[in-house]
Amino acid sequence: MLSLKPLQDIKLSPLALLDSAYIIVLLPLMLILKVPMLIFSFMVLVLLFIKKTPADKFLIVFVFLMGILALYLSLYGLFSFRGLSRLKLFLELLVYVLIIVVSMQRLTREINFYLLLSPILFLALSLFFFHGIIMLSYVIFEIFFLLWLILAHRMSGDMIESFRASMVMFMYSLPWVVVLFIFFPRISFDHADYGFKGENIQRMGHDGTMYLDRKALLVPSDRIVMEVGFDKEVPSSDKLYFRGSILYVDKKDHWEPLPSYIKRESKSYYPTQGERVEYKVTLYPTQKRWIYLLDMPARAVQDADLDRDLISTVEKPIKAPLHYAATSSLSPKFHDSLDQDTLYASTYFDRKRNPRTYQEAQKIKKRFNTPDKRASALIKFFQQQSLVYSLKPKALDINNTADSFLFDKRLGYCVHFASSFVIMARMSGIPSRIVTGYKADKANSLNNYLPVKERDAHAWAELYINEHWLRFETTSTASAIDQDTAEVLGTNNTNEGNKPFIERVNLYLMYVKYQVETWILYYSNIRQLQLLQYAKENPRFIFLFVLSLLVLVLITFSITLYFRRPRCTHKILCILEPLLKKLKNEGYIRKKGETMHQYFLRYMKDHPDNSAIKEVDKYYETISYGGDSSAATIKRLKSMVKNSLSS
Amino acid sequence: MKSLRTFAQIYRRIDQHATRYSAVVVVLLFGLFLEAYMHDFNLVYITLFFMFSLAFSAGPIGILNLGHLEASYLSPGRFFAFQEGQIPIEISNHSTTTSWSISLHDDNTSLPLDTIKGETSKVLKLPVTPNKRGPFTHKGCYLESKYPLSTVRLVMKIDETYRGIVYPEPKGTPLHSFLHQEENHYGEEKEFDGLRAYDGSQKLSHIHWASVAKGDMSVKVFSKETLTPKLVFNFYTAATDDESRLSQLCLWVLECEKQNLPFMIQMPNRVLNSVKESTDVILETLARY
Repeated sequence: MLSLKPLQDIKLSPLALLDSAYIIVLLPLMLILKVPMLIFSFMVLVLLFIKKTPADKFLIVFVFLMGILALYLSLYGLFSFRGLSRLKLFLELLVYVLIIVVSMQRLTREINFYLLLSPILFLALSLFFFHGIIMLSYVIFEIFFLLWLILAHRMSGDMIESFRASMVMFMYSLPWVVVLFIFFPRISFDHADYGFKGENIQRMGHDGTMYLDRKALLVPSDRIVMEVGFDKEVPSSDKLYFRGSILYVDKKDHWEPLPSYIKRESKSYYPTQGERVEYKVTLYPTQKRWIYLLDMPARAVQDADLDRDLISTVEKPIKAPLHYAATSSLSPKFHDSLDQDTLYASTYFDRKRNPRTYQEAQKIKKRFNTPDKRASALIKFFQQQSLVYSLKPKALDINNTADSFLFDKRLGYCVHFASSFVIMARMSGIPSRIVTGYKADKANSLNNYLPVKERDAHAWAELYINEHWLRFETTSTASAIDQDTAEVLGTNNTNEGNKPFIERVNLYLMYVKYQVETWILYYSNIRQLQLLQYAKENPRFIFLFVLSLLVLVLITFSITLYFRRPRCTHKILCILEPLLKKLKNEGYIRKKGETMHQYFLRYMKDHPDNSAIKEVDKYYETISYGGDSSAATIKRLKSMVKNSLSS
Repeated sequence: MKSLRTFAQIYRRIDQHATRYSAVVVVLLFGLFLEAYMHDFNLVYITLFFMFSLAFSAGPIGILNLGHLEASYLSPGRFFAFQEGQIPIEISNHSTTTSWSISLHDDNTSLPLDTIKGETSKVLKLPVTPNKRGPFTHKGCYLESKYPLSTVRLVMKIDETYRGIVYPEPKGTPLHSFLHQEENHYGEEKEFDGLRAYDGSQKLSHIHWASVAKGDMSVKVFSKETLTPKLVFNFYTAATDDESRLSQLCLWVLECEKQNLPFMIQMPNRVLNSVKESTDVILETLARY
């Protein structure tokens, strides 16, 4: 169990306790302090360290002036009326002012009301800036630690007893916190998005342009791009296509969306057929405007646009984790009526480029009359080309990428497959386009949780057949995968023993993190209503919920009991404690002033056959008064106590 | 169940009062609530709920800390009017756990007790200054604790009332002045009978200078002195008014007791004899006059 022995001899003075509190609450705020303010804080620390007597008024005035200077330099250029309207700057200013005031107060070496109150204010202010899972853990630690320090102050600096008392109080509070957190009525204000973002790394994999040359965006990284929580089971892998952008324009070495000056006809969206799924997405900063929805989105996400190609975008580039709920119909196709601009863009190809591909496409076009048959023929043609899936393809001939890929190099990954397929489809007379986004793998999911990684970035084709845009998984036409790629993707399994296990553990950790974020950090009135609705529909859930709460209460109560029990401080008495408890339960209460020997004799008088107690008495006397406190004797005493308990 | 019953019992004995930290907690809770509500910060909600729950649990924990204590008056010494005396109060902790941050209060005094370990007791001496002679009661004592968070001040009244007697304020002419006046009755120095500690009332000529040189202030006692007839104090001649008479007699009684001298007091309706009655009975008679 928890050993508190190192704290045995520590008795902190009220000032030391207060300093500890400040260290704990200021630690996260140090991450947002500007350099001048950091230097000022360091200067105050040095002063506190050097000067052991209360500061005189000149020193305090000096610290005040230095503080004001540090504040001015920290906020130089930001400090304006316009700036003050930004809450983040205002809060920063508050933090700085509080640091200056606390520094001045602390240098007087007198504890006053403001010094006692300020750690809580710092804690409250730090909550404006940090919202992540690390801060969640830290806040809980901070609350416990501050409680410990307050109790230590109340208990004359006794760190062990105050730790035990704070554990008791903390455990008393925990079930209340859980219940309040779940049921306290929330309102639907948006979660404020200012503050310290923690992580500003831009997620990659999809950027709305698809390069075919060396610039090709190939990121076989495991960094999470988005986390998806399905309301029901995660759909099968062949349905996990997350749409990003649609590319129409072939620019030789890359593909682009339609230029923004082309104003296409707006049309109402036709709902698609297929199984409906509802899911929630946490999309990490991409610095782009696309949000990713499963093929095919059934409706627009709140505060996002859904265009006629079922591409969803938000107004501004995504710079902070974005959370959205979405609904999709799991279908590889959706109905559309082509307008003139779209038709032109999706059928255009450069007649001068890719002659061999054109020749083959014409053969298919002549041989098959209908677009669906032509598409099947195209797939068959690709399969027959013995194309190899490789993450390290050889450079293609930029002017004839399709020819180069299909007939010459025959090495490539999704972008090369999709690009060549769309070029050839257009040459065969089928309107077609490229879709880029992510294709996730159900094997990477856990329960209803699906992490989508940078390496899941993907491109595929959509062909317009029978008034529907139909998805074609062009990469699946590869007939083989090269050795290096197999190793990178882990399909080779050369290190089969460890990798799946580590990946599994990693997945579990991500799952826990996701659940914490979903149910704690981003718990909202919507979640609350969902929970209540679910509880209404599932009486079993109510039972399980109440049961869980009871278990929590029981656990906290047990911990409380453990820490409330009297602490045994004397080594030998600690060994005897269970025996003394037993004797007490039998009605033998040790009288005031009665020695242990007399106590045991009194018991043995009524129980002359209990030889174990006699032995305990003997060893107790030997250790306490005979000067033999060797490990062997103590071990023997322990053994005798054990015997006496069983006898 | 037993614990709940015990808690209910001790809960009734304890009053809870707000402190200035209660107001601080309310203000902080309100501030955190605004922060949480306006910005939908769940971390702030968590902090808010923890603060609320901790403040809420401070009450029961404080009650358990204080409620197991019991206070009882021990038999005190003598009390004299206008003189500070001490009432000993024994505070016992019947719980197995330590009680923290306890103090004993009455209307004027506050005595810190700090901690009382489980199943132990401590004795505190509460200073009191009675302002008149006669029967004396002391009540309104209470144990107070702000444990654990200072957000609530817990007060447990000590129901027991101390009842005692306050003797008259001992003041007036010292006994040795009275003895000077009564020199003839006091006898003469005949046979040396030994040494006794000097208490200021003996003649200077009786001081045993040899012992003074050794550091002890002793006086010589002569056998004739011990055979001196009883001292007789008269109520009416002791002083000019009743209260002064009682104070004077009280002083002489105490001095006689100190010197182990037998005495008699002629009161208006009765005679008090130190041979027949104990000093306390005599003093009580004076107190109740």
